[in-house]
Amino acid sequence: MGLVPDFILDYVNVTTYWTLLFTFHALLAVALLGALTHQAASVLMPMRQAAAAGGPSFTERFRAVHGPGYAAAVCVLWIVTFFFGAWIYTKYRMYVRIPIEQEGFWKTQGVFELKEHLASIGLGLLPVYWLFWKDARNPEYDSPRKWLTVTLAAFCWYIFLAGHIVNNVRGFGS
Amino acid sequence: MSTTTQTPAAQSSSLVQSYAFRTFAVVFAIAAPVIYTICEIGNLPLFTYHPGTNRVEFGFARSVRDQGPAMHWYGWTASTLLGSAILGLIAAKLPESLTRKIPLALVWIAPLAVIPVLIYALRFFWRW
Repeated sequence: MGLVPDFILDYVNVTTYWTLLFTFHALLAVALLGALTHQAASVLMPMRQAAAAGGPSFTERFRAVHGPGYAAAVCVLWIVTFFFGAWIYTKYRMYVRIPIEQEGFWKTQGVFELKEHLASIGLGLLPVYWLFWKDARNPEYDSPRKWLTVTLAAFCWYIFLAGHIVNNVRGFGS
Repeated sequence: MSTTTQTPAAQSSSLVQSYAFRTFAVVFAIAAPVIYTICEIGNLPLFTYHPGTNRVEFGFARSVRDQGPAMHWYGWTASTLLGSAILGLIAAKLPESLTRKIPLALVWIAPLAVIPVLIYALRFFWRW
């Protein structure tokens, strides 16, 4: 049934347990995706001048975030989301991947395999990502910080969408 | 004995200013994608997890008949984090004049560069 600590089953049944875990994983992923997308927009299209009369537009507000304020949150969210995903993976490997292979959805499985690779590689980028944002006044870090943030945001989008695709193939209630 | 204590913000600030930490973080970030790719292609997990029996084996292990699949991803990730940390710690001990020469751009080029290799390694799945 995947990795389920026994004491949890005193409070919820197995189905509720996996549903809660998956929902937390998805909500954390949404928060991470939002934070990284805001940050990537702020480095790709930085706000250079005050907004014109009438106030900032939606896109101006979207990219006018204070990037350094997101760095620690992104690191924590990536790690916690990764942890929940790794936990769910025990269930996935037994009860989702095997039927996917039996149905012959090979490309879907390949897309998922790449998702797990990118999640692990992203984990390795977090210390330097945190450093670059925490020392945001260091001009030496400007270019690598920009492209590292964009890279992490692109990884996050792929990971999110790949998870969504797999869930569409065999998600809740299947 | 000093009675002063650093606040978390001060500790964070000293970490940011530490050149040794900078070297560690940069080398860790460059090494992680490379080591992960080597572990994936070479099948070099630190351990193998068998979810059917909730059993962990050191190193690479194949799935056992009638006991469900074997999972290597946790082991690849552990190998990557361990290997990158060792390389980062070694690099942090090297002279600054040497580690200054490491191009910072590699922290985002390396993870992008391994993607085609990983996609190729997954060629088994790209069937039509």
